[in-house]
Amino acid sequence: MATRHKPMEYKGKTIEFPFDNPAEETIPDSEVHEHLAKPTTERTKRLKGRCRWKHSAGGEFVEGDVKAGIERMRLITEAYKTDTGKPHVIRRANLLDNLLNKCTVIVQEDELIVGFNAENPNFVPLYPEQSYMACMDYILDPKIAPQPVEEAKELAEYWIEHSLQKKCETYFTQHEIDVMYSLTTFEVPGFAAGFNSVVPTYETVIEDGLLKRIELAEHHIAAAKEVLGAAHWNAPERLKLLPQIDLWQSMIISCKAVIAWARRHGRLCKIIAENFETNPKRKEELLKMADICQRVPAEPAQGLWDGLQSKWFVFLVLHALERYSSGFAHKPDKLLWPLYKASVIDKSFQAMSHEDAVELFECERLKISENAPGKSKGFRSVFPGSNDLFILTLGGLNRDGSDGCNDCTDAILEAARNIRTTEPSIAFRWHPKGRLKTKNLVFQCVRDGLGYPSIKHDIINTQQMLYYAQFSQNNNGATLEEAHDWVNVLCMSPGLCGRRKTQKTRSEGGSAIFSAKILETTLNNGYDWSFTNTQLGPQTGNVEDFKTFEDLWEAFREQFRWNIDLCIRAKDVSRYWEIRILENPFLSAIDDGCMELGRESMELSEQPNGWHNPITSITAANSLVAIKKLIYDDKKYTFQELIKALHSNWEGYEEMRKDFLNAPKWGNDDPYADEIVKDFFEDFLSGEMRKITNYSGGPVMPVGQAIGLYMEIGSRTGPTPDGRYGGEACDDGGISPYMGTDKKGPTAVLRSVSKVNSHTQKANLLNQRLSAPIMRSDKGFKIWLAYMNTWCDFEIDHIQFNVVSNEEMAAAQKEPEKHADLIVRVAGFSARFVDLSTYAQNTIMARHEQDFEVKDFEYLGVEL
Amino acid sequence: MATCEKCRSFYPIPEGEDDYAEGKGDCVCERKDAKGKWWDSKPVMGEATADKCPDYVQKK
Repeated sequence: MATRHKPMEYKGKTIEFPFDNPAEETIPDSEVHEHLAKPTTERTKRLKGRCRWKHSAGGEFVEGDVKAGIERMRLITEAYKTDTGKPHVIRRANLLDNLLNKCTVIVQEDELIVGFNAENPNFVPLYPEQSYMACMDYILDPKIAPQPVEEAKELAEYWIEHSLQKKCETYFTQHEIDVMYSLTTFEVPGFAAGFNSVVPTYETVIEDGLLKRIELAEHHIAAAKEVLGAAHWNAPERLKLLPQIDLWQSMIISCKAVIAWARRHGRLCKIIAENFETNPKRKEELLKMADICQRVPAEPAQGLWDGLQSKWFVFLVLHALERYSSGFAHKPDKLLWPLYKASVIDKSFQAMSHEDAVELFECERLKISENAPGKSKGFRSVFPGSNDLFILTLGGLNRDGSDGCNDCTDAILEAARNIRTTEPSIAFRWHPKGRLKTKNLVFQCVRDGLGYPSIKHDIINTQQMLYYAQFSQNNNGATLEEAHDWVNVLCMSPGLCGRRKTQKTRSEGGSAIFSAKILETTLNNGYDWSFTNTQLGPQTGNVEDFKTFEDLWEAFREQFRWNIDLCIRAKDVSRYWEIRILENPFLSAIDDGCMELGRESMELSEQPNGWHNPITSITAANSLVAIKKLIYDDKKYTFQELIKALHSNWEGYEEMRKDFLNAPKWGNDDPYADEIVKDFFEDFLSGEMRKITNYSGGPVMPVGQAIGLYMEIGSRTGPTPDGRYGGEACDDGGISPYMGTDKKGPTAVLRSVSKVNSHTQKANLLNQRLSAPIMRSDKGFKIWLAYMNTWCDFEIDHIQFNVVSNEEMAAAQKEPEKHADLIVRVAGFSARFVDLSTYAQNTIMARHEQDFEVKDFEYLGVEL
Repeated sequence: MATCEKCRSFYPIPEGEDDYAEGKGDCVCERKDAKGKWWDSKPVMGEATADKCPDYVQKK
């Protein structure tokens, strides 16, 4: 039997909490999530049943059939070797052209949206031009190595001299390289990891079609040639046109290649229909798909099916073929709304019902679930239970200030709720104007334990787009209207979407720095005693000599500054070389700014969007609180004693550890702790980072989040003064209380977090775990809505939820095969619980399950 | 000698297609594994030798 929440006395009444769905009364707590998936059609049920998941756990692929393909490596290398005399941007276009003309195209049974990134649906493609080390991870592992392995090795080795990594390493000392590659105080730089992200300008393809983009490029070339040939030659002015002509030419090559590749899919659909398929209904579908692939992305999309197929082709090219980029950043309810309207409401093209639309969105979710890049083992490890980071964004306001939620938003949310896949995750832009019907669907997804939508404050983030716009180097940052068009670039950080000004590379924003580990080195004069056994940071003095808390604060600040400077320098050095050797002609072709100005996508930055992710910051901040309280204020211990205890991993210092563990902690509305944490976020993290100016001319701001690094880095971080043992996981997200230490209820967490001014931060992840019996009750939505309205009034940037009982997670640990549909929120992504390591599972279970008490209801003002 | 154009999997690319070239075709094969069925297509030239191709089946 299911556990109902116990009745409560509230405002003179006894409040009962029966299940919203009475049928749940008979379902044991330990298996609720196995009864929630309801694929909309038999097709999507079959597609989910046979989904070729690419999830990884502990850095290994969960499913045994997954391997690296060789085709992409082979075809890009072939083109690059034969093209040596041409301008580099043309070589990059020809590389894509060779790949798309010669690669294998695939159509799977039952699919409505076609296209894949490798030669076999079980494979992942590799990117030797981005990272030699990531390729070697595959080549050296016989289980997943591309075949023939000797050829793969030769191809990877060819790229060493031509790779981003090799070009960038030149500008750093050996010590800096050692620190950067040790994954200790910050993430390995993008030039070595090969990890990237992008916000594609899908709008131009959906609205214009690629033939129109080709026409535009041809027009620019013709106009430039006229200027070149005009009277009174002027070299300083006109020679600038030469690289622009090359760029426009590369755009034409890449757009033509993408059109031809899409049409190859159409031809394959037709061949299957006419030669293999016996089911007349499927034959008809395949012929429709053939027609769609013939028309899009060459032409503008006219119906919803067109739109989803066109978007999928562009996604594959920009995230997997031209270059690897993580993410699924776009706002589909805005992008596809006119097409949804044409197909579902007006029935003017590809007429379909709302349920048909939901089926298409379920199909898209399953396509994403099968898609993975050849990420390095390190990056597979830090996204446990997922195949990559795929986050789309919904809701918010339109450009004119009207509610951005529509029936297309609802269809996307219904698809997510019904099919239950971990990918893609969803960010929902919460605005007071947002319609209740859509917010209820958001709630249903949260209540059903998907861990998403993760919710972002629409007003704060729209204002942030305007803040960054003032630093635009060509005075063309976001306008007030454009500022409404923002999405999460990856897990947490907002960036513009639309026809231009979007973020094109992770060297602009992304990557992590580890506050707790830097504090540990500060306590040891820059030395890392617990992991690398080396002098990592500068010598900032012996803590025993620090007379005041401010002395410690400033030493820590100096260590942090040294590390963050190195991080951002590495990103901008990457950018310098991305401009020269990793041009993206197709990405440039579909950006209105690149097209109009004749500037390549890596080089042109109209809207700065600099950020870096401080991770493990609450572990660091709670440690500062404990030090201030026990060493400086109460004078109960000395630094000498603390350092000794830490170097012993608290062994022999159990009473002392209890004191440090019981010191005030973040997330309990405790003024003592909260004041220090507020200063840490505003003055220290944001204050130091904003002194930096990045490639785009804007400041770098902190995005507190965690991905799976809170575990990975926890294992590399020694014991900390918050009472944590060495090797234990650190805090699970930017501004989230440390697991199990938020004991004063869900509204106390909001009050603590609201003390940090959101406008000083780019984003901050807040994980909350809410009581499953309350959320699943008939009062669930009302209570949650009151909680969310308070969250919104507090101007907190973000919040996301786990709604799952420990009974169910414990049952899944015992019998994983019976719990394939149990999903949990890890950090900025969700994962199938059974795909996580026990270590990771335990960190989810250790998060405090917030129950609502009468005082919370009173605070929220909820009527029950 | 077995050549691609003699194979059952060879489908000539119609004139007018973006990637049309004389003698060029799509090599289309049906595949199956424990998870299901799919079809793949690779461009080939009709006169290419197919003696060692594991998918080669003479056209009837």
